Amino acid sequence: MKRTLLALFLVTLTGSLFAQKKTTTSATVAFDATTAIDALPKAENKTVVAALDTRTGALAFEATVKNFTFTNPTIQQHFNGASWMDSDKNPTFTFKGKLTNLSAIDFSKNGTYTAQAEGTLKVKDVEQKITVPATIVVSDGAVSASSEFSIKLADFNITGAAINGGKVAKEPTITVKADFK
Amino acid sequence: MTKRIIWTSIVVLVIAGAGIYWYVHTETFADTKDRKAAFTVNAHDFIREFIENGEAANARYTDQIVVVNGRVSETEMADTTMNIIMDEPNSGSFIIFAFQQQYLAEAKTVKVGDSLSIKGSCSGGIFSEILEVHKIDFKRSTLESHYANTNKNVHTQNNQQ
Repeated sequence: MKRTLLALFLVTLTGSLFAQKKTTTSATVAFDATTAIDALPKAENKTVVAALDTRTGALAFEATVKNFTFTNPTIQQHFNGASWMDSDKNPTFTFKGKLTNLSAIDFSKNGTYTAQAEGTLKVKDVEQKITVPATIVVSDGAVSASSEFSIKLADFNITGAAINGGKVAKEPTITVKADFK
Repeated sequence: MTKRIIWTSIVVLVIAGAGIYWYVHTETFADTKDRKAAFTVNAHDFIREFIENGEAANARYTDQIVVVNGRVSETEMADTTMNIIMDEPNSGSFIIFAFQQQYLAEAKTVKVGDSLSIKGSCSGGIFSEILEVHKIDFKRSTLESHYANTNKNVHTQNNQQ
C-alpha cells in the first residue's frame, strides 16, 4: 500500500513538474528593417518553436530562417543569401534565456504582467547577450508572451551597402508573440 | 554624332535601370496554387527522410514547391492566423504549414484527423533543440484537397478526384 502511494505521489509530482514547461510551435517573430526609402525589408515567421518554464522562468525560442516570409521574392532571396543570413549554413535564429522578474508574475492568477527577459540571441552563428521587455498575459491557465525590441545588425556582423545606403535599417524592430499551451 | 549616341545610350540605360528597379520592387510571389510542384510526398515518408538523412532531404526539398498528403494531427493558432501540423507518431517529428493569407479562411475549417493534400514552399527541416524532434517548415501553403474525418462531410474539394 505504501509503495502504491509513493508511486502515485511520484507520478503526480513528475506530472506536475513537467506541466510547468509550456510550449508552442506557432509563435510568431516579425522584423521590420524598413526605412524612409525602402518599405520592403520586413518579414514574419509564424512557425517559431517556443518554450516557457513557469517554475524556473527559463525561456527559449527557435526560428527557421528560411520560413521568414517576405512579400518580395528578390528581397527574400537576398536575406537568405550568403552575404546576409547565409541560411543554408545557419538555418535557425535562437534565443535562450530566462525571465528575470519571475517573482512578480503569478501564473496561477489572471492578469497582465510586465516582465523582463535576458539571454543569448544567436543570429548567423553570432551570439549576443540581450535584455528585452516582455508582457506576460495569464488567462484561465493559458499563458501568452509578447515582446518588442530592436537589435543592432552590426552586433551580429551583418553589414553591407544596403545598410550603409539607408535601404535597410541599422536597428530593425523585432516583434515576438507566443501563445503557450 | 558621337555625342548623340552617348546621350541616347545614357537615356536607354536610365530607362532600363528604372524599369528593373520598378520590377524588382513591385514583384510579388506567385500564388502557390498556380505553381507546379516539384515533388508529391506522403507525410510520414517525408518526415522519415529528414530523420534518416537531414542533409540529403534538405538538399532535395528546401526551396521547392512540395505537395504533402497526410492526416492532420494538430491545428495551432499563430497570432491571428492558423498553422496545420502533420506528425509522425513514432518519433514525434512533424511538418508545420503556414498558409497564404488568401487561403486562411479555408485552412481554418480543417480539423484534427482530416486528410489533406497541402501544397507549399518547403523551408527545410531542422532538429529542434527545444522539442528534441525533427521539424519541417512550410510557408505560403494552400489546400489542394480536404477530406473531413467523416465520409459524410467533405467540406473542401479543390482538385478533388
